[in-house]
Amino acid sequence: MGVIRVAGLRKTYGTVSAVDGMAFAVDRGEVYGFLGPNGAGKTTTIRVLTGQIEPDAGDVSVLGTDPVADPIETRRRVGILPEQESPPSFLTPREYLAFVGEVRGLDPDRVAERTDTWAERLGFESKLDTLHTDLSRGQQQKVMIAQAFVHDPDVVFIDEPLANLDPLVQEQVKRFLVSYAADDNAVFVSTHNIDVAEEICTRVGIVADGRLVAERSLADDATDESLLDLFLDRVEGEDARDTPALEQLHT
Amino acid sequence: MSEPKSTDGASATDATRSDAGLSTPRLLAILFREEWRLHTQLFGGWRFALFPLVIALLTVSAAVALIETGTAPGTVVGGLHVLAVGFGLYSGTAGFAGSDMLENVFGRLSLLLSSSTTLPLSRRRLLGAFLLKDGLFYAIVFVFPMSLGGLAVDGLSATPLLSIILFWLSLALVFAVGMATTVALIAVRTRGVPSWVIGLGIGLAGGGGWATGRLGPIRSVLVPIDGSPAAAGGLAVGTLAVTASSLAVYDPTYGRPSRTASDRFARVSDALPLEDAPLVTKSLLDLARSSGGVWKPLVSASILLALVAALVGVVDSITGVAPAPGIFFGGVLGLSAFTTYNWLTQFDSLEAYLTYPVSIADVFRAKRIAFVLVGAPAVAVPYLAAVVWFDATLVDAAVGAVLLAGYALYYYGLTVYIAGFDPNEFLFDAVRFAMFTVGVAVPLVPTLVAGFVVVPPSATLAVALALGGLVVGIVGLVLSSRAGPRWDARYRTE
Repeated sequence: MGVIRVAGLRKTYGTVSAVDGMAFAVDRGEVYGFLGPNGAGKTTTIRVLTGQIEPDAGDVSVLGTDPVADPIETRRRVGILPEQESPPSFLTPREYLAFVGEVRGLDPDRVAERTDTWAERLGFESKLDTLHTDLSRGQQQKVMIAQAFVHDPDVVFIDEPLANLDPLVQEQVKRFLVSYAADDNAVFVSTHNIDVAEEICTRVGIVADGRLVAERSLADDATDESLLDLFLDRVEGEDARDTPALEQLHT
Repeated sequence: MSEPKSTDGASATDATRSDAGLSTPRLLAILFREEWRLHTQLFGGWRFALFPLVIALLTVSAAVALIETGTAPGTVVGGLHVLAVGFGLYSGTAGFAGSDMLENVFGRLSLLLSSSTTLPLSRRRLLGAFLLKDGLFYAIVFVFPMSLGGLAVDGLSATPLLSIILFWLSLALVFAVGMATTVALIAVRTRGVPSWVIGLGIGLAGGGGWATGRLGPIRSVLVPIDGSPAAAGGLAVGTLAVTASSLAVYDPTYGRPSRTASDRFARVSDALPLEDAPLVTKSLLDLARSSGGVWKPLVSASILLALVAALVGVVDSITGVAPAPGIFFGGVLGLSAFTTYNWLTQFDSLEAYLTYPVSIADVFRAKRIAFVLVGAPAVAVPYLAAVVWFDATLVDAAVGAVLLAGYALYYYGLTVYIAGFDPNEFLFDAVRFAMFTVGVAVPLVPTLVAGFVVVPPSATLAVALALGGLVVGIVGLVLSSRAGPRWDARYRTE
């Protein structure tokens, strides 16, 4: 029984079909990679699953809640790290995390404790009292990662988790995501970075043109075909491998 | 020997290459195309294309109404020039992507203006072209329709086309003066001059001019159509000189140092006995810590007060008719609700809130509370100043206070209902702008007429207006309450 279940999901924007018959399920203990090129429908799917927008058709369920009928309850129980940059906020990271904690009804002392833990883990202790708008993009991303986990959610939706992070922090975040899922939680990672997906995911769904075109378990898969080859086959077809490399273009 | 570097970091060779690679006319053409696409994408092609027509209709209607009700033509001409300067002052900020003004209005943009960081284009040259483009673009899209108001002043003379062109040039020139002033102030700021020093300088200059009676000559210079061609030419040359000097002074490498703040969130939130306390607190702290802080709404309301007070003074001196100050200022100052709400929505977006377990209705309710907390004192101070300065009777002041509260709530509700979380979308969206204008005019125009006709207000009129203020306030509450579900449905089914 999946903690995330999607069946027959469709969503169009005007005449553009963003999601067209998506179906998959994610269980506890999984880091599920949602892999696809830009415009494949990944972000739209996450927005539907977190109750931000309504689908045109299909059934979705997250932790037994219905994001369409009760989006607030779904968002109360999950953590969300959105892809889009946050608008300029004049709160400090300490205040911002207190704000998120209060909106989520958490005990302020617990939030303060978790703020210190996350600041130390991601290395923004010295920025806790700097205005969010004056932080670098990487520092802002660290704060946004912290807010997604501040309430220990059972399911976390993450859109491009490693954007703007330095290599050291990337490694820490990757290790954390794997260990978080192993604690009987589910981590749903949307990315177009195949290396990252291969490294941290237990299972990967490949998305193209709004549909799930392939799924592969990475935990115990013994196939010879690399994830990159599978991705290229399913997204662009065999021709994709014939695309000239950058070195060739340069010459 | 190393190549000499220009102050904006580009080498002399780079500058020459960029000049040779992209001519200024070509650069201007690209910038114009970008500007057009920005507006048509934000508002829709035909809604933006209709905007000049709406401006023309409004300007001509207002000018005709003012002339027909006895306002001196000179006052109308002066008022249009004040509007053009004001719009120029506002538009002058647009060239400085990265300043929080532009980012707050449109969000983070990837404009061509930012290309100077990745392409061999001088930041100053690009900025100069950007300002020139803005000046020409708005002179056509916004200032030209305004200049049609001159038809009402002059009537259809034998050479209406020439009259309109001259009036347009006059308005466009003072629009450029406004832009140049803002550009100069921003340029000075990039050289480390604190904002408060700039503000103090402006205040002292204005106060000094007023105290020494020198505002009259300044006014005549700022209405070029009433002065000599030489004075207008001098103003044009001066504006160009100020702009060129500002571009020379402007330091493109200026970076504001990181700011820190002590933890105030919990204290403010705990002090608010509300369910939506965290959402309200975020809005209040964002406003308080942004450039200009919580004073911004007060300054906006005070500017509105100064403009209307000047107009009332001129009308009074020419016609001998002065309105009941409480009713008049109560009705007009309520309009500051729009700017106050605008300030409160500059630092967040509805999309960002949709990652938390809150509804859009919760967010709008929190904004309404923040609006009352910020807007009430911001508008009460100018209103009290007006009723004291213009010597209102007690009844007039009391009725005006009811009107102020009710109308401010109504204008707020109207804004939220029509524009949702993006009040700036009124800019250049013909349909929304027209809806808002009609919505404002319906209660305001009869109130202003009553304020002018029955001075001081009779008991019957006072009771009627107070009741009207209450009803309009309730309508505003209903509109703002319905805005949440309305925009929730729109966002979630986009």
